[in-house]
Amino acid sequence: MRSAFLLREAALLLVLGVMFAAFSIFVPGFYDWTNVFDRTRHWVAAGLIAIPMTFIIATAGIDLSVGSLVAMSGIVLGLLYRDGHWPIGLAVLAAIGAGMAGGALNGAVISRFGIPPLVATLATMALFSGVATGLSKGRPIGNLPASLQWLSQGDAFVLRFGQGIAAPLPFSLLVLAAATALGWVLMHRSWVGRFTEFIGENEMAARFAAIPVPRMRLGIYTACGLVCGVASVLYTGLYATARPDAARGLELEVIACVVIGGTRISGGHASVLGSLLGLFIIGMLKYGLQMGGVKSEYLIILVGILLILTAVFNEWLFTRTGGKT
Amino acid sequence: MSEAVLSLLGIHKHFGGVPALRGAALELERGEIHGLVGENGAGKSTLINVATGVLRPDSGDVLLDGKAVILSNPHHAAKYGIAVVHQEAELFPQLSIAENMLLRSGLIRGAGGLIRWSRTYREAANQVAALGESFDVQEPAGGLSVARRMMAEIAAAVAEQPKVLFLDEPSSSLTLKEIENLFRQIRRLRDAGVAVVYVSHRLEEVLEISDRLTVMRDGETVETRPTSEYTLDRVVAAMVGRKLSTLFEKTPAPVRRVRLSVATATATDNSFRDISLEVKRGEILGVYGFVGAGRSEFAQALFGLRALSSGMIAVDGETVNIRAPRDAVRAGIAYLPEDRLVQGVFRTHPVRSNGSVAALRSLCSFGWIRSRAERALGQRIVRDMNVRAESLEQAINTLSGGNQQKVVFGRWQATAPRVLLLDEPTRGVDVGAKAEIHRLICGMAQQSVAIVLISSELPEIMAMSDRITTLSEGRLTGIFDPKTDTKESVAAAAVPRAGGEPTAAAQRRLGALARRLQFREAGIIAFTAALCLIMGFFKPHEFFTAGNFLDVLANAALPGIVAQGAMLIICAGGIDISVGSMLGIVGAMATMAAKAGHPPLACLALAAGLGCAFSMANGGFALLARIHPIIVTLAGITIYRGLMLLLTGGYEIMQLPTAYRALADGRLFGVPKVCYYVVLVSVAVHVFLRYTITGRRVLALGDSASAARLIGLSKVRLTLLVFALSGFLVGVAAVLHAGYYGKVQANTGEGMELKAIAAAVIGGTNILGGQGSALGTLLGAFLVALLYNILILAEISSYWQNIFVGGLILLAVLADMLLQRLQGARGG
Repeated sequence: MRSAFLLREAALLLVLGVMFAAFSIFVPGFYDWTNVFDRTRHWVAAGLIAIPMTFIIATAGIDLSVGSLVAMSGIVLGLLYRDGHWPIGLAVLAAIGAGMAGGALNGAVISRFGIPPLVATLATMALFSGVATGLSKGRPIGNLPASLQWLSQGDAFVLRFGQGIAAPLPFSLLVLAAATALGWVLMHRSWVGRFTEFIGENEMAARFAAIPVPRMRLGIYTACGLVCGVASVLYTGLYATARPDAARGLELEVIACVVIGGTRISGGHASVLGSLLGLFIIGMLKYGLQMGGVKSEYLIILVGILLILTAVFNEWLFTRTGGKT
Repeated sequence: MSEAVLSLLGIHKHFGGVPALRGAALELERGEIHGLVGENGAGKSTLINVATGVLRPDSGDVLLDGKAVILSNPHHAAKYGIAVVHQEAELFPQLSIAENMLLRSGLIRGAGGLIRWSRTYREAANQVAALGESFDVQEPAGGLSVARRMMAEIAAAVAEQPKVLFLDEPSSSLTLKEIENLFRQIRRLRDAGVAVVYVSHRLEEVLEISDRLTVMRDGETVETRPTSEYTLDRVVAAMVGRKLSTLFEKTPAPVRRVRLSVATATATDNSFRDISLEVKRGEILGVYGFVGAGRSEFAQALFGLRALSSGMIAVDGETVNIRAPRDAVRAGIAYLPEDRLVQGVFRTHPVRSNGSVAALRSLCSFGWIRSRAERALGQRIVRDMNVRAESLEQAINTLSGGNQQKVVFGRWQATAPRVLLLDEPTRGVDVGAKAEIHRLICGMAQQSVAIVLISSELPEIMAMSDRITTLSEGRLTGIFDPKTDTKESVAAAAVPRAGGEPTAAAQRRLGALARRLQFREAGIIAFTAALCLIMGFFKPHEFFTAGNFLDVLANAALPGIVAQGAMLIICAGGIDISVGSMLGIVGAMATMAAKAGHPPLACLALAAGLGCAFSMANGGFALLARIHPIIVTLAGITIYRGLMLLLTGGYEIMQLPTAYRALADGRLFGVPKVCYYVVLVSVAVHVFLRYTITGRRVLALGDSASAARLIGLSKVRLTLLVFALSGFLVGVAAVLHAGYYGKVQANTGEGMELKAIAAAVIGGTNILGGQGSALGTLLGAFLVALLYNILILAEISSYWQNIFVGGLILLAVLADMLLQRLQGARGG
């Protein structure tokens, strides 16, 4: 089973490699490490959220509210800084706190009252976006300080490969790498991930094995909210502007990363690394096609189709292998 | 009267290598009552399942009227006139009793093929009265007591006029009076020529009612004789009569101080009452009883999975407060569950992690699983438990049942428990594995573990236990010593008394939803009226004007039409969150056609067709991938939105032809035209859902997919149908939307899905399916529009709007859940 999972990740890596090669050959201007790395700044928010989303989907749940939550947290940050005159550091912490509170609301409604995650987070999706537009009166909050911008736009250091190739490595990419490492350890090397997968595989058996199911659920959705808060900081820094309609449709992209990464949509089996690879595949596909002159409308259609097709493919693969992978 | 109507000959059936039936035979004659008895696990249920098409036998013949038949599913068997009433009645809890009774055989229809409810109810009431019962057939079936559910189920089976009727433990929850009624009905059926098979643990009843009797043991039919040749003792002897096999080799463990003591434990649901017992260190206490005696419930309460209303638990003299399984594990209590597949194993996960789960936290440092320690534990389990597995990493569902059970056993041994509760530890396990599990149990006892061994296999109980206690109908009925008491005396104490009072658990109302819907609509109207009064008080001149009300109505119209479709999908157990984007793209396409000069009605038809196609694609992909429609429709949102942008280039479509606009724009008799459409659609959906067989089937599918399969409903067809209907309505709404607003924008339809789902949920649609009302949905749409109107009049910035939609959905669902819980608690 473990080997089957590694197989999956190897396949995704291969797809990524082939895509990169193909774009480099056929799309002029694509093969430029500085550009590629620069591009990843736009993927980081989705990638961060994909990690807790992997846990949520592993429990057979879903969170549709992540996009709105990012918007709401960003607005909290912007308002506290601009109108509340809070120091930017505190405003950032408050944004993360707001995200966490939103996630805790999701978790409480789902684990305490037994409302299906789908309905609960559909409702809070509207709720959070209402708070975001309401608080900001529908207007973006600009002129956020350069220090905030640096988190997204800044580079940690310059990577050099041999002669003449140098690419600045974005700081936010390091954040994503660290978060992925943490998520990977939690999912694949700690009891947290084990219990998470077991809840998705067989909730009844999980309860009979003394796994604290409601507490796990509450924790996972809260953590997802917290990560949304962090993502909102990076998202806001990207344009130095907090927008009430920021991160629209982000939930689709995040869920697509997770599904492409091989996490089972009906729960029980997860791959954090797969979700990250899913992110890079979607990101690179969109970037490459865009460079190649494909209209952005086609790109969003493509993400949708990709999600459906991988979901169908995964389920087919799972039943074909007798549910053993 | 000796021709066999149904014969089962030489039936063999294995489950994963474990034989459940070994050449069982059963011959039923026309017009007889045939008793079928045997211990739990003797193979009665498997035999019934073979006879009713639930299971296909590995070998053996099924003859109907002397001709060999193959029963491929229960629906198929029902067509041959073979009906069954299961112990756990498979009902549609949210549908009325009358409907549950008549959905299979046919609801009574009148003019135009529409259901005539008054006649249907009368017919159902007559059938109920014929059974000597007098309950309200209009109540939801989920609100019935178990006893009455059973009677309703029997009535439903009888309504099909079967040739053979299997009754599986029909009396376990009935009172004496109800049983008398039941017996009268069974005799009436027999006299009408039906072969009735009566399965029960209440041997006295079986002796009273049956004409002939078949005794089963170990998957074989021991004997079939006329009932007159039997006495109670003879039946018991035949049931448990096997020689005490040498399998059980109990090594006595020194019995010392008291380890577990339970004082007057009573369950909140009354599934057991006033149980006091003690288990000493190293002692094995056998608990013997039949299904429904409260054995598993008792063990699960000790393990924190069920609540006690009173009573005390102490381990080693220390009182423990157990509210969740974790508390129990901390107190040193472990529980090996009865149903291995549902409660025990994580099927697709490896042997290693299945074995380590209970002790996992102790194998971690700072949350990190020490994989070497985990592997060592896995190896120890495989070795100590003698698990036959090729590798620790193989998925547990590749092992045989016995080996799976040993892994789960090992999981709990690894927690070094002080008290071990074993619930049917050897059920469905082959003979070899059984002996090994017995050896393991003795080994645990020698390590001073106090063991509670629950089993319905008397020889096992007799051989393994130091003391035996019997449970019957939730109460302790005796303490026995296996060395001095006979197994017949133990069995006699466990046999439920004929017609004894049913346990309160049986009387408990299961998820009572009684009459919720009626209150629902009244509630919305009251809430709406209250809102209007408050607004009228503050803003009388702006709010209480005809113009304002018509505005609200018109604003409710388009979301209302979409909401009716969303409601239908939710009723069938699905959801579609892409209806907003779909409305946009369909509207754009139809409007472009209109601008190209096509007649308005053709454009309307085009839109409806496109909507159908898109929506069926949503439903179809979800069915194909066997995933929840949420994923597909989530993707649908962006696909449709992208298509929309491609089609319109992001520009508005304006200057629509007047005739096209006239479909929706303007007024008729002073009322905006769109209002007529929504009323028309709502009435049509109401008629569909309430008065057509197909509509009722949609609700049935959403209510219980498993019960729907049993009566042969097609999930694929019904799902595609509701998606098609929803798409059709989205198409209509899209054209009206374009006409009403005079344009189509790139973001047309955005947020429509939220309004639609909010309207449906507020209107009382059960978000999990099975219940919905077109009238409620219409009121819900009106309420949402009214709220928007109030927000505007109250000069609350429209930017807050979304909060109210989201909050409304959440509140409506929360209210539903709390209401259900409240009713459940009151019934319990």
